Amino acid sequence: MLGQQWPYAVATLLFAAGMWLLLPRARPQGRPIGAALVCVGLALLTLLVHFGLAVGVPGQPYWSWQAGEPSGGAWAVDIVFLVLAAVTVLSAVAAVTLRSPVYCAIWFGLTLLGTAALFLYQGAQFLALATVVVYAGAILVTFLFVLMLAQPEGDTYYDRLSWEAMLSACAGAVLVGILTMTTLQAFRDPGPTIGTKAHSPQAAQARAKGILASEHVASLGGQLFSTHLISVEVAGSLLLVALVGAIAIVAQATGNRLDRPGHAAEIGRAEATGHALGGPTHG
Amino acid sequence: MGELQLLYNYLIVGALLFGIGMIGFLSRRNMIVMFLAAEMMLQGVSVSLVAWGRFHNDWGGQVLVVFIITVAACEAGIALALVLMLFHRAGKLDIAFWQTIRESNQPRFVDHELPADDQAVGQHWPQLTPSGIEPPTKEEELVHRIHV
Repeated sequence: MLGQQWPYAVATLLFAAGMWLLLPRARPQGRPIGAALVCVGLALLTLLVHFGLAVGVPGQPYWSWQAGEPSGGAWAVDIVFLVLAAVTVLSAVAAVTLRSPVYCAIWFGLTLLGTAALFLYQGAQFLALATVVVYAGAILVTFLFVLMLAQPEGDTYYDRLSWEAMLSACAGAVLVGILTMTTLQAFRDPGPTIGTKAHSPQAAQARAKGILASEHVASLGGQLFSTHLISVEVAGSLLLVALVGAIAIVAQATGNRLDRPGHAAEIGRAEATGHALGGPTHG
Repeated sequence: MGELQLLYNYLIVGALLFGIGMIGFLSRRNMIVMFLAAEMMLQGVSVSLVAWGRFHNDWGGQVLVVFIITVAACEAGIALALVLMLFHRAGKLDIAFWQTIRESNQPRFVDHELPADDQAVGQHWPQLTPSGIEPPTKEEELVHRIHV
């Protein structure tokens, strides 16, 4: 039983208000309050989702815990998951709301490490490694390179302003709230099919032989190169095409900059249009 | 945690990552931060897919995440090349600079309130006393100097 629905709305609203206060705005007051609101909202969401807090279930005390007591020794496992999830989500909040894009990239790196740890916790060893190597090692470093190339002066006015911070915070929070509600409604009272899959010892044995087997990478590679072989080939072609495309785009840009004689005038014209468009000229 | 609890906890973490990434993508104006937020949304989807794959004892979830990582790498390469090109054109990473490509019936975006803390950011560079004679600069160099 899910209980009444207003606690979810409260958690979502707190989260939205905190995100709005945290996002860069013209008047930067209230950022500590925003951080506190985000933390409170996420903590309430944790109570509702992880610990199964339910309010106003008929036939039970007004506040009740639906998830049941964790069995012996499960507290440590639960705490590991909670810490990993908290690191991931809070660093994601920091990555989106901080003003300096370099700090954003670094906090996003922490989000990636948290996600990799969550993958590892699920037994997806190869994906955890691939996330660290590909995302944190390659993509994030490319982001930092571009940042250093494009914005060496650091602070700019457009990092201290947002589009419609309140509307976007509300949109994101409503999305999170709806997803939470529907997910919990589907799983708090699982039907016989889902329940069998979740709790039966046969399913646990199948998992131990299947997705949690000790030869994890070998099994994943077997799947990848037998069932999904064509997809692998297509992905390889996609990488090649993306490489060619990126080189073509950059080559065109540098051709514009260096080779064309009338280029300085064109840049001057672009600048002039930018100013005429009403963007702030300082910063 | 039981398998079912593990599944929906992971789904909620994925939803949170997706929602936070969406907030960032909608509200931030720096193009690089926007792409960071888009990658964050992909991470949220990956977390959900891995959880579903474990619950159903199916390798499809993890295989799909492998392809998501591939596509994210392609996307990052092309997107950063595009960002660099746009930066060469505009001289800044502000996405509002490119509002000329908006729909023709949309109003022009104007920054009404500028950040009030221009001085309070804490970047006070030391200033040297100018000395000597300032050399004459050509007009073309002045245009280029903005972009350096």
